[in-house]
Amino acid sequence: MIAGQAYEQAATALLCDCGCHPQSIKECACGRAEELRVALAKDVAAGRSGDEIIAAYVARYGQKVLVAPPATGFNLVAWTGPAIGLLGAAVMITLMIRRWHRLSAALPAETVPPSSAMDEAYLARLRHDVEESR
Amino acid sequence: MSTLGHFALFLALACAAWAATAAWLSTISKGKGLHRSAERGVLAACGLVALAVAALEYGFVTDDFSLDSVYHYSSVNQPLPYKIGALWGGQAGSLLLWAFILSSMSAIVVVTNRNKNRALMPWIVHVLAIVMTFFLVLTNFIASPFESGPLRADGVGLNPQLKNYWMMIHPPTLYLGYVGFTIPFAFGIAALVTRRTGDIWFRTTRRWTLFSWFFLGIGILMGSYWAYIELGWGGYWAWDPVENASLMPWLMGTAFLHSVMLQEKKGMMKVWNMTLIILTFCLAIFGTFLTRSGIISSVHSFATSDIGPAFAWFLGITFFGSLILLVLRLDDLKSEARMESVLSREASFLFNNMMLVGIAATVLLLTTFPLISEAATGRKVTMGPPIFNLVNIPWALFLLFLVGVGPLIAWRKATAENFRRNFLVPALVGVWSLVLFVVLEGRAAIDAARGIFRSIFAANFGGVFDSLKTFYPPLCFALAGFVFATVVLEFFRGVRARHHQYGEAPFVALGRLVWRNKRRWGGYVVHVGFVVVCIGVAASSAYRKETVEMIAPKGTIKIDGYAMTYDGYRLEAIDDYVAAVTELTVWQDGRFVARLEAEQRWHPNMLFPELREAFLRTKALRGGDPAAYTASIQGLYALIGRLEGQAGREVKTPSTEVAIHKSFSLAAPQRFAEDFYVTPLGVDPFTGQANFRVFVNPMVNFLWFGGFVLVFGASLCVFPDARERKRLEASMAIDDREAA
Repeated sequence: MIAGQAYEQAATALLCDCGCHPQSIKECACGRAEELRVALAKDVAAGRSGDEIIAAYVARYGQKVLVAPPATGFNLVAWTGPAIGLLGAAVMITLMIRRWHRLSAALPAETVPPSSAMDEAYLARLRHDVEESR
Repeated sequence: MSTLGHFALFLALACAAWAATAAWLSTISKGKGLHRSAERGVLAACGLVALAVAALEYGFVTDDFSLDSVYHYSSVNQPLPYKIGALWGGQAGSLLLWAFILSSMSAIVVVTNRNKNRALMPWIVHVLAIVMTFFLVLTNFIASPFESGPLRADGVGLNPQLKNYWMMIHPPTLYLGYVGFTIPFAFGIAALVTRRTGDIWFRTTRRWTLFSWFFLGIGILMGSYWAYIELGWGGYWAWDPVENASLMPWLMGTAFLHSVMLQEKKGMMKVWNMTLIILTFCLAIFGTFLTRSGIISSVHSFATSDIGPAFAWFLGITFFGSLILLVLRLDDLKSEARMESVLSREASFLFNNMMLVGIAATVLLLTTFPLISEAATGRKVTMGPPIFNLVNIPWALFLLFLVGVGPLIAWRKATAENFRRNFLVPALVGVWSLVLFVVLEGRAAIDAARGIFRSIFAANFGGVFDSLKTFYPPLCFALAGFVFATVVLEFFRGVRARHHQYGEAPFVALGRLVWRNKRRWGGYVVHVGFVVVCIGVAASSAYRKETVEMIAPKGTIKIDGYAMTYDGYRLEAIDDYVAAVTELTVWQDGRFVARLEAEQRWHPNMLFPELREAFLRTKALRGGDPAAYTASIQGLYALIGRLEGQAGREVKTPSTEVAIHKSFSLAAPQRFAEDFYVTPLGVDPFTGQANFRVFVNPMVNFLWFGGFVLVFGASLCVFPDARERKRLEASMAIDDREAA
């Protein structure tokens, strides 16, 4: 069972080098993946653990043999960037809405000069809104 | 014929360049002649590009292998539909197709606007003609489809994986989407230049935008379906750079379609909408660039070459030029209304945009991260599916939540009454789905919760994410239930209102309701389609079962209640391949359900004379003595093996034909929309010993079914609508008066 786990770990972490989709050795459906699976099975049979096999591949080919880079150093930009961006954007939008709200409260309605064209456009929208909410 | 094509393409470039110049000149000088001339230039370019396409197709159909593109992507034995489709199998042909679609669309814009939007038109023609000129320069000088070489008897042929009907219509569909976004972009730029930044530019192009969004979406779905049935790894989306390249403009386009409603109804978000359409267009160009330049390695870039620098320049100039123009016009884009509350329809549009743009930005970051990493640290990395799934799923779930909230939350500021009225029942439906999961899958839920706590205490953040995965699907189902309930409730109220007011029967009321405001109700249908797609994706990726086993004929593989017996195999030599066809019988929960055939194909390289001759001899034996035929194919296999030992180059290209049993029977409702999916990884032609990879993909058909719902909803939205026309006419009247 331990050997099975080691194989599973290595096969899901390592990239098939067939140049098709970026897919793990386990998932890839090409002929090359089949050869790599055999190679991995041999490594496991030789008694090496999943971590050892992966480390050996990385030492030999660099981080690009991993399906996803480890979450360390510069790679953290990719791992955490989106989540930080999401939080930042949410905070920014909330603050923006607050600010707009304050501005509109501080701004008396008369400061917007009424123009006939605006009125017409506004009326058209109003009519439309009424229609829609019905 | 190819000389004719060459010539037509060159003349088309001249016409497009003239159209761009004349359109610009016409904005300086007063005479109408120049502008008419520019418009005629566009029409002429369209006709000439069409002629070039016809000439190239003629080359493909008549097997003119002296043309490089025919030689590389077609062969004598290729069936006719694939000869025709091989036009867009390569880079030069694809770019020609791009130019053709763009010039046709531009011609339609010129014709339909001959009496409208006269102030905008010179600039619209100018922008369209410039984009056209760029693609025609590419196809004339950098990647010409009419490049020719020595006379050759046969061609290399299309990559066997591309020989699939879905793959044949997938690129043109995708291109319709990519190219279509040029039209709203051109209108937007024209509006900025002329300072007519009212709502005309996007009202006129509303259907163009929808049309592009629609085809890009269908193109993406077709591509996924192709990957599912052709690549044989049991999935449909691998976050391949090229898949991402089509997803990004689609996401941006979706954001634009939504955000533009806020400008229509409230006069808000004007700068943002311009930004979005600029980004959408740039991403569409970037998508074409990624697909066709091979800058990030991907199997999809079936064609690569040196168009990279040209694209980079064009993209850079378009992007920065548009942004500078936008900044110069900021004064014209003042908002007419203000946000009042975080809990309002307006704010929900903002959050919707945030999610869509956020996902697109994430995909962009991760897709280009290998380049960024190499530039920053000199280290090459790979971005595989795990990281994409990890960072995108939470965003997608939040987006799904907004799909439910957005259309029903009140404008300006939502009240408690508004919440109770619209969301109480749907929220209960959602919570109920979640509870149902915990009851049915209690063990898994508890284990996952434990896993999360354990990982937090061990400060193992990877572990937290791993355990969270268990909760994603039920969360997705709960949200899906919530959204679905909001839409059903809305339809129900609409129908009931008509029923009370006009005394119409429910079905009549439903039809009239939808017909009278196709855009709104079509939008709801699209939302339902999205929900169904989400259900399919969540269920099939979370609950998928898989096994790989090597068995001999008469052997059996068991997985998740299925039993598959390998009855036997036969060898075939058809079209341009030899195949080991395995014959399988499938039982589902002890009940016979299907006989299937899955194939492992080898496409021999016909450029080896020995192999070609042996293949043709074998093919001729088909239908004769079965024993001799089989023996001859076995000989072919042996020959390929021998050649592979000697030759340095590819002797064969393998491909698989997967076998799929789709379960729609009412006899097994718990397996509704499930796929039993078999790929033969390898078949020994002499003993029949075969290595099968078998998947059970629950509910995966919801994905395709959701696609159909999307198509239906979007078609409703695209349908001409009298109300929309009236609104456009009213805006135009106001605009004309203001101008005067």
